[in-house]
Amino acid sequence: MTVPISMFLVLAAALFATGAMGFLLRRNLLVLLMSIELMLNAVNLTLVAFNRIHPANHAGQILAFFVIAIAAAEAAVGLAIVLAFFRLRGSVRSDEATALKN
Amino acid sequence: MEQLRTQFPTDDFSLIALVLLLPLVGAFVCGVFGKRLGKQGVRTMALSAVGGSFILCLVAFAMLVGAPHDAHGAAGHAHAATRFTWNAWRWFTIDGGTSLVPIDVAFSIDPLSGVMMLVVTGVGFLIHLYSSSYMEKDPGYYRFFAYLNLFVFSMLVLILGDNLAVLFVGWEGVGLCSYLLIGFWFSEDKKASAGKKAFITNRIGDFGLLVAMAMLVYYAGSLQFSTLERSHASLAQMRTLWPIPGLELPAFLMPSEPFRASVPTLVALALFVGCMGKSAQMPLYVWLPDAMAGPTPVSALIHAATMVTAGIYLVARTSFIFALSPFAMAVVAGTGAVTAVFAASIAFAQTDLKKVLAYSTVSQLGYMFVGVGSGAFAAGFFHVLTHAFFKGCLFLCAGSVIHAMHHVIHDEEGSQDMRNMGGLRKHMPITHATFLVSCLAIAGCPFTSGFFSKDEVLFKAFANQIQTTQKGLWVAPAWYGQAIYAVGVVGAVCTAFYMFRAYFLTFWGDFRGWKIVKAAKSHGHDGHHEHHGDEPLEGEAPHESPWQMTLPLGVLAVFAALFWVVYAEPLHLTALERFWHPVFATASTHIVERAGAHAMMFPLLGVGAAIFLAGSGGAYYVYVLQGGKPAAAFVAAAPGLHRIVRDKWRVDEFYDATILGFIDAMGETAVAMDKWLIDGVIARLTSGIVQLLGALLRLLQTGRVQVYAASMVLGVAGIGWFVLTPHASAELDTARLRSSGDVTLTAAPGHGYSYRWAEGDAAPSGDFTTNASFTTKLDRCETRQVHLEVRNVFGGISKTTYTPCREMGNDCCTKGPAPAGGAKRAIGDATTEGGAP
Repeated sequence: MTVPISMFLVLAAALFATGAMGFLLRRNLLVLLMSIELMLNAVNLTLVAFNRIHPANHAGQILAFFVIAIAAAEAAVGLAIVLAFFRLRGSVRSDEATALKN
Repeated sequence: MEQLRTQFPTDDFSLIALVLLLPLVGAFVCGVFGKRLGKQGVRTMALSAVGGSFILCLVAFAMLVGAPHDAHGAAGHAHAATRFTWNAWRWFTIDGGTSLVPIDVAFSIDPLSGVMMLVVTGVGFLIHLYSSSYMEKDPGYYRFFAYLNLFVFSMLVLILGDNLAVLFVGWEGVGLCSYLLIGFWFSEDKKASAGKKAFITNRIGDFGLLVAMAMLVYYAGSLQFSTLERSHASLAQMRTLWPIPGLELPAFLMPSEPFRASVPTLVALALFVGCMGKSAQMPLYVWLPDAMAGPTPVSALIHAATMVTAGIYLVARTSFIFALSPFAMAVVAGTGAVTAVFAASIAFAQTDLKKVLAYSTVSQLGYMFVGVGSGAFAAGFFHVLTHAFFKGCLFLCAGSVIHAMHHVIHDEEGSQDMRNMGGLRKHMPITHATFLVSCLAIAGCPFTSGFFSKDEVLFKAFANQIQTTQKGLWVAPAWYGQAIYAVGVVGAVCTAFYMFRAYFLTFWGDFRGWKIVKAAKSHGHDGHHEHHGDEPLEGEAPHESPWQMTLPLGVLAVFAALFWVVYAEPLHLTALERFWHPVFATASTHIVERAGAHAMMFPLLGVGAAIFLAGSGGAYYVYVLQGGKPAAAFVAAAPGLHRIVRDKWRVDEFYDATILGFIDAMGETAVAMDKWLIDGVIARLTSGIVQLLGALLRLLQTGRVQVYAASMVLGVAGIGWFVLTPHASAELDTARLRSSGDVTLTAAPGHGYSYRWAEGDAAPSGDFTTNASFTTKLDRCETRQVHLEVRNVFGGISKTTYTPCREMGNDCCTKGPAPAGGAKRAIGDATTEGGAP
């Protein structure tokens, strides 16, 4: 039995919405990073799902690998920023990062 | 010599490049590396650059003298002067109105420029040698020689330029160097502003030169001297100046007869404005006396021997234009004569040795203009040469004296003041002897160069008349030349008197330097040498200068005394005139000697000798026999006159009050406008608007990451919504609407769009197709509705309606009855309603 493509897409949309809402509503920088990972993985899921209906090429899967690699880099940079921020402010709450205001 | 001739053919005489490059390289090396080279290196570089250039000039000159005279005659001009030309490169081409005028970077050597380049590099080398000792202690040694070398380069460009544009480059270059060297000690405010004064006064003249160049391009279609000379006859035409052709004017501005002037007059007068500035003629002479603020060798080289004579050179170079206009010639001669006397009158009351020499330079420049303005181009230019020798020598002597004086009294103004000198002939024998020789020459002592050159100038002013074949031109009356002569004689007597006054005050009597006459506004120079009142001051005696300074004095003095051997008409020595004759041949066809004037030559020689005796004898009587008592008595009898002459007739004050005052007032107005209108209103208004907008935008800048993220999400969502809804719109092709009534509508594409069309009152029905265009045909003045529906992949539908109308040129589309449905009747009007997916 094959799962229809729409199922994958609905799941990916749900994951993406979860990530986006998490990013918008939570205040903990670590949670924000995790939300971003969630959104990226939702995109990955969409990419590999579409690749199922085009079995002749693997562009979707290759692109998913790129996204994973970039996500890893992003996580490294993001965690470094969080660490520096913690040293500076003694907390990881995003609403304390207001130095760029005005 | 033959080898040189093959190496440098007359029409590709690249030796000029070397002549020009040497001083330029010298200037570059001294200016850029001078600090690291040290004084010895700078001296070697600068002297060898100018010396090398002089030797090359000698070679070129020898080739010029030895050149076969038919070398250029093949060009179809019997009297064409021998010319060596070198065309470096095409500079630019300008639109001359009727034709394109090419301007080349081209140089040429002919008898006139050949002699002048020898003077510039020769006297220039002597003055470089002199400066190497004179400026020994100056920290700006390398800068001085860089400027001096650059000056020699610019002056050579001026002289050797083959067209007015290249000449103009040199003209500006020497102006720049003059500015730099006058303000050489720029840390003193007075000297810096003297430099500025020279530069700005010269700008006025340069403007005249530019105008002349523009007129020549327009009327003659060339700036090249040889081309202009060949076609100079075509310049002789009349132009209406007022009313300006083609300009409608109110009746009271229309003269009863149009005011007309000849083109040569206009061009010559504009050129002469340039000469007035550069050669310090009335009314633009004011900068030259102030230019004495520069180091004395500069005064000798630039402000006596070479640069200031550029104006005479320009008149001589363009003599064929001047000779076409008796009026312009009269203006040149008249200005020269008035300047000669006026400047001489100021020199009487000056106590600063350099100021006396400066005013005498202005006065002598006046004589040169009398010469060229009387059509005696050779005589006028010969005076340039003799003046270069004797005035260069006088200035260098003055420098030598000042050098010695400075050792004794350490005060700059005081060391130039003749009241502090006296008796120097005992201490400085060489300086004294050379000064005396040059002084005799400038005063016109028989059998010195100055006597023959000045006498020739005055005689020609007396004898010559400018002819014209053109009708309607003003011609100077017969007495004009005699009047110029009379004024010139008065000026010459003055010259002899004040020059010997300076000589006696400086070199005769007892040395007064130990009893300093402080300048009225003395301000305790330097603090470490305070002298009060008449307090006697014992000190070392002034001493003679080193050989680097006395050698140039000697050489120049020999030339000042003996240079007449090349041109002394009364003695039938006319080598120089014959050499120059081809250059002035065109111009001299317009010059005639008045009948019977030639017989006056020897009587007038007697007048010349009498001038010298009267002037120098008067000075001897007043300042030696009577010890200056008559002069003091005169000052006591007419204190007001003395004061006004000492204050240079208050010309500077007059300019300050009128021209400068006017410009200052304009400046004040502009400042007020800037302050109140621009800063006050416009700038504040603009900044207020920007601040307001900024305050609004700042509200958005919360600094919270989530707010930025939320706005991003909202934006992406908005774009997504736009992509997901269909948008119906079409482009109307109405190119053939008027002729055939065909209208083609093309719907805008979109992802997954399909379309259906209908026209008239019928609503679109049937299936959506991929057909994106629709054509319909309209009758005349007909209005028709075209409906378009667009569906996207999600099934959302958007509708729009177009109502094209076929206009036939009688406004029937806008005037006709309103169509059903109430749609507007303009072409392409659309009513749109969107549908959600």
